[in-house]
Amino acid sequence: MAEAASARGVAVRASDVAVEMAGVSKRFGSVQALHAVDFSCRAGEVHALLGENGAGKTSLMNVLAGLYRADAGTIRLHGRVVEMRSPRDAIAHDIGMVHQHFELVQAFSAFENIVLGAEKRVWSMDADRHRGAIAKLARRYGFDVDLDRHVRDLEIGDQQKVEILRILATGARVLILDEPTTHLTPIEVERLYRSVREFARSGLTVILIAHKLREILAVADRLTVLRRGRLVGTLDAADADEPGVVEMMIGERGALGTASCPRTVVGPGTVLAVRGAASAEDQRAVDLADVDLTVRSGELVGVAGVAGNGQKELVELLCGLRPLAAGSILLGERDVSRCSVRERIRAGLATLPGDRIREGILPGAPLFESYALGLHQVWDRSGWRPRTVRDEAQSMIGRFRVVAPGADAPTAVLSGGNIQKVLVARALAIAGQGGDSVLVAMNPTSGLDVGAAAFVHGQLGAMCSRGAGVLLISEDLEELLAVCHRILVLYRGRIVGSYEREAFDRYAIGAGMVGSGD
Amino acid sequence: MTELDASGALTPRGDADVEAASGADGALGAPPGAARRQTVWADVRIYLGAVVVALVVNAVLLLAIGADPLVAYRQILSSSLGSVAALAQTLNRMTPLLLGSAAVAFAMRAGYVNLGVDGQIYGGAILATGTAFALYGLPAAVVLPAVLVAAILGGGTVALLPAVLRARRGVNELFTTVMLNFVAFYAADYLSTGPWTDPVAGEAISVPIGAEARLPGFLTGGGHIGILLALPLVVAMAWWLRRTRAGFEFRAVGGNPRAAQFGGVSLVATGVVALVVSGLVAGLAGGIEVTGVHRRLILGLTPNFGYMAVLIAVLARRSPLGAIPAAFGFAVLIVGSDSLQRSVGLPASAVFLFQAVVVLAVLYFEVRRGGVLAAVRGRVGR
Repeated sequence: MAEAASARGVAVRASDVAVEMAGVSKRFGSVQALHAVDFSCRAGEVHALLGENGAGKTSLMNVLAGLYRADAGTIRLHGRVVEMRSPRDAIAHDIGMVHQHFELVQAFSAFENIVLGAEKRVWSMDADRHRGAIAKLARRYGFDVDLDRHVRDLEIGDQQKVEILRILATGARVLILDEPTTHLTPIEVERLYRSVREFARSGLTVILIAHKLREILAVADRLTVLRRGRLVGTLDAADADEPGVVEMMIGERGALGTASCPRTVVGPGTVLAVRGAASAEDQRAVDLADVDLTVRSGELVGVAGVAGNGQKELVELLCGLRPLAAGSILLGERDVSRCSVRERIRAGLATLPGDRIREGILPGAPLFESYALGLHQVWDRSGWRPRTVRDEAQSMIGRFRVVAPGADAPTAVLSGGNIQKVLVARALAIAGQGGDSVLVAMNPTSGLDVGAAAFVHGQLGAMCSRGAGVLLISEDLEELLAVCHRILVLYRGRIVGSYEREAFDRYAIGAGMVGSGD
Repeated sequence: MTELDASGALTPRGDADVEAASGADGALGAPPGAARRQTVWADVRIYLGAVVVALVVNAVLLLAIGADPLVAYRQILSSSLGSVAALAQTLNRMTPLLLGSAAVAFAMRAGYVNLGVDGQIYGGAILATGTAFALYGLPAAVVLPAVLVAAILGGGTVALLPAVLRARRGVNELFTTVMLNFVAFYAADYLSTGPWTDPVAGEAISVPIGAEARLPGFLTGGGHIGILLALPLVVAMAWWLRRTRAGFEFRAVGGNPRAAQFGGVSLVATGVVALVVSGLVAGLAGGIEVTGVHRRLILGLTPNFGYMAVLIAVLARRSPLGAIPAAFGFAVLIVGSDSLQRSVGLPASAVFLFQAVVVLAVLYFEVRRGGVLAAVRGRVGR
């Protein structure tokens, strides 16, 4: 019916529109996550939701799934206005969402997990009554999972099938999949998308939040693109081509704020050289392979990539937390491949970890101790004088204009931007010892306001002008385009492209990030 | 040594989440200043409040069994603090509690929980007794130090296995330390009923150690100098945590293991130090009990000191210095309420109830305070 309607170029009938969101806005603190976004999808279609990190895709779907309450806007299901106050409301309206992190009880069998969602009664549980129905559901969509195994024993792809079955067993008619392919192998991705087509054929609505463009164009009926919390447009997949969609996603924006590429003398000395590096196999992480990269003195090198393509692992590999299975890492002339984190810090390698709270600070300890952590490795090795450390931190607070009650205040009372200032100050002190020092920074400006981000960029430039090298690993392509001398593209644990500043091509880089580069 | 991935089993329970709530670093880490004075006042109010609540609840309990609460409370104070001999008894009782709780608090500062203090006390006692037997008849100046060193090593030995299993295999020390309590207990049982048994006694006690292996007396009425060994040791532990770079790294692991790793701190080394040092300190308590109180190996050496040590460590907010007043308070309570059995006919089990009420009251006030600080953290976690 819907096909017939659209083929004639006539607006689809209201009854065919399963979900219609109009003017949805949502603000978190100072960040406007969604600006009056309109979104609609039809029964029996696969609808892909595209955009960069932070574009608002997941926020929009969390509103639909009842996890967030929108500040403004309406939601209609089959033409009727509904209120989504909680996930329970969403389930009552047959909307189900599969998150990136599954909500399964690890110690239960797959079957028990699915029944948990399907059983509506509170005081009794007739598991066997559901067994036939669940097995039928699994067969119908080609989910060949051993339902009696414990979830903890299942591969990640099978756990995902269980999670999807659990949602379907609640009676969901609208299925939201949030980046379902992140942890899947190519074959599993293919199987998943075959099932997704099958869902649509049986009349379900599937909303797919995804990054990898080529796959999406093959599976989706229509696409909606968001950028920085705003709707860019909706189009039929048949009419879409990759460059066009990439352009919609990343836009034609000017330089980011005041950020600019540091005018420093690059090279000739190499401060960081990674040759053929591979990380040891780890089921819970992206495996890095054949990583070659060089950072010269005074150079700011960017690593672009969509989250989850090995950025975190690259940081860990460089700073010494992740074992190196092959290849070598050189700081200046020195081979640090087998050196501990401590030795690498002493050799002048500073890190700004991606998660500043979880990986950077001691939340309950006084600020001067958080500041000293790591930096203490390069201080006089004989002692630890709290008073000296405190004075040092107090002067840092003044120099970097950190808004804090004092060096003695618990670190956790600082705002995110000020915590980042402290971590930047610490990294500068580690890498500022002269010699061949390097700063590895991961998403150093994420979640920061314009002023704090500009401060961070300014300090990265200052490092370069002192002759250090900076490796900036960021999910924000605009940031990289604005400040880097050179950009590398990381995709599925490999460097798939390298661009000099004169030859920056945002479309080529954007395509490489989503796996459609050549 | 291989450094495992931080998400692996090796990671200690870092308290990035609860650190602020417990105010743990405040006990040692926070410097003087107006804010510090405020927290001290908040602490004092908590403990005063808890004591008042405990006194009221226990008064009701005492009335219910027909005793006069005021008489009972006066009896507790006079029997534990009323005379020099009473004070000596209280200090004797305080010594193993202080060493045990300082041991637990120390490991907790790096995020590890040592539930094996009882086993480590037995380990220390066994080695101390064995050494005393082996050196029988030599001068006291040689024997006593050797016996105490042996006790320390005995406790460390018992803690070594959990430490290695944790470091190498990620085995949770909660289980291994508790299970080794049984191992050490039955080893003491075997020795005190078997090879070392005192045939005259007819129960699980060994023959006495020689006079040269006995701890010198202190004050009167059976007091010994154990407390004079324990106090400087505990102060030294606090100093190490607060004033050395190794102590800073150690606390950093407890504060946020992931950040500590990024700062170049080895979780493996920290875990081994945390558990083994904890065992060494608990072992000394075993040596002091043997050389100072019982003068032999007996099976009732530690009436649940290990679990009380955990409670005291929690009350002291994981601070070895804070364990000094907390252990003293517990000793007063134990010595005093033991005498209630005789004077007001309070059943022995009621003594434990009495102590439990005090602990619950303090914990209750702690949680309420934690709630306020957690709200501060929530603002940041945004």
